Amino acid sequence: MKKNLLKTIITFGTALSLCACTGNTGAGTTDVPAAQSGSSSPAEINIAYQYGLAYAPLIVCKEKGLIEEAYKAATGSEVTVTWTQMSSGADINTGIAAGSLDVGFMGVAPAISGVAKNVGYRIFTNLSGQEHGMMTSSADINSIADLAGSNEQIALVNIGSIQHIILGKALADNGYDAHLLDANIVAMKHPDGMAALESGNVSCHLTSSPYIFKEHENTALHEIKEVNAAWPVENSFIVGVASTDLHDSQPELYKALCSGISSSIDFLNSNFDEVAAMTSEYDGNTPEAELEYLKKGVYTVDTKEIFTLATFMSENGFIETSFSSYSDLVFDNVKGN
Amino acid sequence: MKDKKKKAVSVIARSIYVIALLVIWECVARSGILGPRSSLIFPSLEQIGEAFIKNFVKGYAGTSLWIYIANSMKLLLTGLFIGVVLAFILSGLSMVSYVFFKIYDLTVSVFDLLPGIALLPVVIIIFGVREEVIVFLVVHAVLWPMSRNMLDGFNATPRIYVEAGKNMGLKGAGLIFGVYLPAAASYIVSGLKSGWARAWRGLISAEMIFGIASSPGIGLFINQMRTNMNNAEMYATLLVIIIIGVIVQYGILRPIEINTVRKWGMTK
Repeated sequence: MKKNLLKTIITFGTALSLCACTGNTGAGTTDVPAAQSGSSSPAEINIAYQYGLAYAPLIVCKEKGLIEEAYKAATGSEVTVTWTQMSSGADINTGIAAGSLDVGFMGVAPAISGVAKNVGYRIFTNLSGQEHGMMTSSADINSIADLAGSNEQIALVNIGSIQHIILGKALADNGYDAHLLDANIVAMKHPDGMAALESGNVSCHLTSSPYIFKEHENTALHEIKEVNAAWPVENSFIVGVASTDLHDSQPELYKALCSGISSSIDFLNSNFDEVAAMTSEYDGNTPEAELEYLKKGVYTVDTKEIFTLATFMSENGFIETSFSSYSDLVFDNVKGN
Repeated sequence: MKDKKKKAVSVIARSIYVIALLVIWECVARSGILGPRSSLIFPSLEQIGEAFIKNFVKGYAGTSLWIYIANSMKLLLTGLFIGVVLAFILSGLSMVSYVFFKIYDLTVSVFDLLPGIALLPVVIIIFGVREEVIVFLVVHAVLWPMSRNMLDGFNATPRIYVEAGKNMGLKGAGLIFGVYLPAAASYIVSGLKSGWARAWRGLISAEMIFGIASSPGIGLFINQMRTNMNNAEMYATLLVIIIIGVIVQYGILRPIEINTVRKWGMTK
């Protein structure tokens, strides 16, 4: 018995010391970015973005090395830019909070949620506005009023996503409770939602570009217009967020980041054909379709209506924090409302 | 007496292990080695404890975690029941017909490799956007590993048992229930254990990707917590998943094992 107990204690001792070693390694790893942020180390920036043509300016920025160019012009030094493609704003939020990402691009709703949760970032640029809309295959549904109080299922990408907030806003704009249709939601990715709508398995699909354009082409479907009106294409859809650490401790790099994104948006706005050829491969569209879809978006660094959205989210219980002004959401250099 | 000592060592060892893990977690959470936002991404045990209670009392958007658990368990048990029954029937038939065995063996080998989530788009088209999709994915998670274990168990049945059964006049269902099932009992219990674990994981994954808000499950709750950066609530929900898993493992599956294969001296 004593022998057994001794064996057990030794086993645990070994296991604990192994865990402790792993812990130390972890600590060392997290220290690395802090050390690299010093002025003597080579500059480095980690950027995360997501899939789809709403992120097209970032493909330009990446392919043309515009951040590197801006940084070199300002400081004469090199910067290593690491681009990572992630599948959700929630993962990017965690990455920034953990210090492994400096910059992220995501829907404006998760960005506002992140600022509210004190993830440690603010919005540093707008990236694009895209068309949103809700399509239905049911002849009986022609307006939000027809949906209110019904059991019709609405597919959208996720609860808490910008599409969910837009549904809530469309309801509120038409005099209903913003959460009236929450129980009707079926959370699924855009392509699955489109397949579910077209096969008659859900009544409605609230989606964004380019899926909304693809669904427009289907004559068996029609649009519920109030949803598009609740968040038109000019309003901010995808925004960029940068960690406050990057903004405060590496101002030159932050400026180069803003400049790189701004240049890529300018390039896109004056070279749609070239960008469509560049991004069509990533998005799986033909260059012609990509060009058509790209031209329907609005690409600018100035934000639009994000404070209105943040106030709406706060007043309707989508987030627990309220913001007193636009400047609570963005860094000083950002223009818009 | 020897057994009692063994049991005591086992309880002490496991308790020390769990306490050590909790201490390490708390040390990491409080040390701040994960940066200034450590409490947001790696909450302390106290935060997780508070979130645990909050999940049940307040829930998300007015819906308690109990509702999510009840929905998930309903789908899980339905899927598990269908999966286990199908595994028994199909594996049993495989012992009766050689051609059926060859076809079913191939089917199990192929489908056991496919992750349920990858089948989601096809399943939605077939079943529509309903709870049945989740049930289907649970059946998919249970049926193939359970069948694989049963087929292996049946095949490992000593030939002499089968011959003896046949000489006693057993055939068809009688041979399956009288010879194959008792002989393969340890494989079946092992299949039940792995089937349960696969079903539980399959259910959570499916609900995280495919969330029906009118009958929300635990996976959807986790997703909502992730989306809103409520990490303490998310970890508290993972704790709920572990607790349910442990209850089933030690409260249901272990007694089945003790009262069958262990009692019969088929396993240690």
